[in-house]
Amino acid sequence: MNTSHKTSSLNKIIAILKDTLNVIKIEFRTLFKDRGVVTMLVLAPLAYPLLYCSLYKNETLIDVPIAAVDCSRSQESRELLRHIDATQNVQVISKFSTLAEAKQAYNEKKVHGVVYIPADFSKKLNTGDQTTVSVYCDISSFMYYRIINQACSNCILAMSNQIQMERLNANGITGESAKIAASPIPYDAVILYNEGAGFASFLMPAILILIIQQTLFLGIGMITGTSREENRFHVLVSSSIYKGSTLRVIIGKSICYFSMFAAWSFFVLQFVPRLFNLPHIGIPFDIMMLMIPFLLSTVFFSMTVAVFIPNRETGIVLFMFMSLIILFLSGVSWPESNINGFWRAFGWIFPATCGIQAYIKINTLGADLHHISFEYISLSVQTVIYFITTYWAYRWQIMKSARKSLNKAEITK
Amino acid sequence: MSTKLQTAFTNTLNRELRRMVSRPIYFIGTVVIMAFSYIFFLTFFSEGQPNKMPIGIVDLDNSSLSRQFSRNLESTQQARIVMKLSSHKEAREEMQRGNIYAFVEIKRHFSVDALSSKRPAITFYVNDGYLIAGSLLLKDITYMSAATSIGMERKVLRAKGIDERRIMGIIQPITQDTHLIGNPWASYGTYLLNVILPGILQLMVLLMSVFSIGVEYKERTSREWLKNADNTMFAALSGKLLPYTIIFTILGVIGNMLLYRYMRYPLNANIGWMFLATFVLVLSSQAIAVIFIGITPVLRDGVTFAGLFGTLGITFAGSTFPIEQMPSGVRLLSDLFPIHHYFNIYVDQALNGVPIHYSLSSYLIMLAFLILPFFVFNRLKNAAIRQNYPTK
Repeated sequence: MNTSHKTSSLNKIIAILKDTLNVIKIEFRTLFKDRGVVTMLVLAPLAYPLLYCSLYKNETLIDVPIAAVDCSRSQESRELLRHIDATQNVQVISKFSTLAEAKQAYNEKKVHGVVYIPADFSKKLNTGDQTTVSVYCDISSFMYYRIINQACSNCILAMSNQIQMERLNANGITGESAKIAASPIPYDAVILYNEGAGFASFLMPAILILIIQQTLFLGIGMITGTSREENRFHVLVSSSIYKGSTLRVIIGKSICYFSMFAAWSFFVLQFVPRLFNLPHIGIPFDIMMLMIPFLLSTVFFSMTVAVFIPNRETGIVLFMFMSLIILFLSGVSWPESNINGFWRAFGWIFPATCGIQAYIKINTLGADLHHISFEYISLSVQTVIYFITTYWAYRWQIMKSARKSLNKAEITK
Repeated sequence: MSTKLQTAFTNTLNRELRRMVSRPIYFIGTVVIMAFSYIFFLTFFSEGQPNKMPIGIVDLDNSSLSRQFSRNLESTQQARIVMKLSSHKEAREEMQRGNIYAFVEIKRHFSVDALSSKRPAITFYVNDGYLIAGSLLLKDITYMSAATSIGMERKVLRAKGIDERRIMGIIQPITQDTHLIGNPWASYGTYLLNVILPGILQLMVLLMSVFSIGVEYKERTSREWLKNADNTMFAALSGKLLPYTIIFTILGVIGNMLLYRYMRYPLNANIGWMFLATFVLVLSSQAIAVIFIGITPVLRDGVTFAGLFGTLGITFAGSTFPIEQMPSGVRLLSDLFPIHHYFNIYVDQALNGVPIHYSLSSYLIMLAFLILPFFVFNRLKNAAIRQNYPTK
């Protein structure tokens, strides 16, 4: 009796596994037969990272053209301009005698900044007075402002320090005591994790995670929308209409998406950063561990929302713009600490907000898994919650279509 | 002839208006999404600049001088000390957890060394993995450290008996005075919203225009659509797209008003020029949408192209990273994006307030996009009649 009980439960398990495998098989087949879905779930997650990384390949600005208005026309002013020109980031391409002329060049977009050296520059330097150099920056992009301002201030500071020494010497303060007088408390800034202050190194890791979430979400939306159009739910249900089947459908489908995107994430998160020389100091194993709750929560989140997507194109039309919103909610650009409570809570809806933070912390900042325990737990909680919502949503859909087909059957009878 | 065209046009327009109220996607894809985006971004960036970002301090000296330095840091606009840490390692881990964006390290005997002229150093670490937070904090902490050093220097020079009038000349022989052309407040929202909001607008124009045309092919109503327009593609397209032109232009103008009137972002030209730019952006995006659905009258492919093009547009506008610093081919590509020309108009007019003739070419290029749809008229018409494209 015991053995028969055992065999029957074994048979049951085998039946469940068979059903699940069958769902996986069907899902993979429908997926690869559909050109639109293949674009979204295969082509996009592999091509987008390469495309965006190529666009943002240049980490910083090189030789930004600026103009100089040198009213001093002295040896000192020429020296300062030479130093500015010699920096990697800016280039003095033209010299004008008035600000109005420089403004003209700026309006024509020939230059993105202007250095103005006043007429009494050299005189004041020789009489021991303080003088001021003005720098005008194009702020159409934050990058222009940052780069021009930085290059100029480095050169101005270097020259200023040199003159400071001369003046201290002239006042009879020399040697070590001049050093002490010049900077009694020296300070030293150390830039960590993105030493070159590169733009791609900062933005791309976030974009990579966002691409994974959005393609997975839109792809699942497209598949589900299509089955709703074709009413494939109906078919899935007719074979076995008991409670267990919902679970098998969900697990089968999610295994299909998860396994595919586990492979893609390896390419996107391990290979792409190395290919484009983006930061990659994280432990690969930790990143893969992070992907488990991230991909699962994304899959279940997408499956839940997709139930409400009536057509295959609706998802793209109505949710594409969310990519931008999620990028800002993730707190990579505008710091997380400064996002107001409401939007921060809203951000928790999307797995990518935690996913982006966690990935940046491991990949860029070299954190270990225990440093990102908050994100890891959040993603795990999301996985559980979205699994339950997916179950409800599917169950509701299956019941609905079962009722419909029952009605239909009665009518035809 | 012209009255015939007129009836065809009015018939299509009426038909489209009926369609628009038949399904929620039309309302959500226009008004709801744009309203949500406006509310989201304006409340998100209401602070202007990220102020009082969390930093840490490793104060191993704990003297009145080092505490004074902490207080000075607290008084900067951007930094807020949220934790006192006991070691460099601990501080670095807090940074890796993302709890602080920077930390300052003050060594033991800092105060004694400073007073006995041993030049004790202050070291600070900023996390440029978060570039915006990192560079803003770097600026503030550098400034405060320099100020501390200068304060000390002044004391030293006074003690040496140097004339008060000459002291500033010795401390800082050359100062720098930075002017931000057109945006005196350096508000971060200004950089972003002036491109993101029109960016979302053009994305939705592209998607909704492609959708409204493509759905006729998908649902096999294209013959009816064309017949209703007296078999003229011009009437069929213009009648169909006009409602969206109007809705999106109104939504875009509301966006302009929010940016330049409500948020008071820099506007150094007549706001009318920005309204015009918004209108032309809507028109040119619709022209591109027609091209996309004309190339393959398959709704799915159309919206995929439009979505890709629309999101790329935000990169190609040139605000995040200047186009001229991108790889050389990209520069040519950027001309294909109407939003890039819109952005140029924004920079010239709203930001820099240069004479309008500098922007003329940008307006004209955007208008030139309107020629594109004519190339796919035949293709669209044939496909509408034959209905020989897959529906999914």
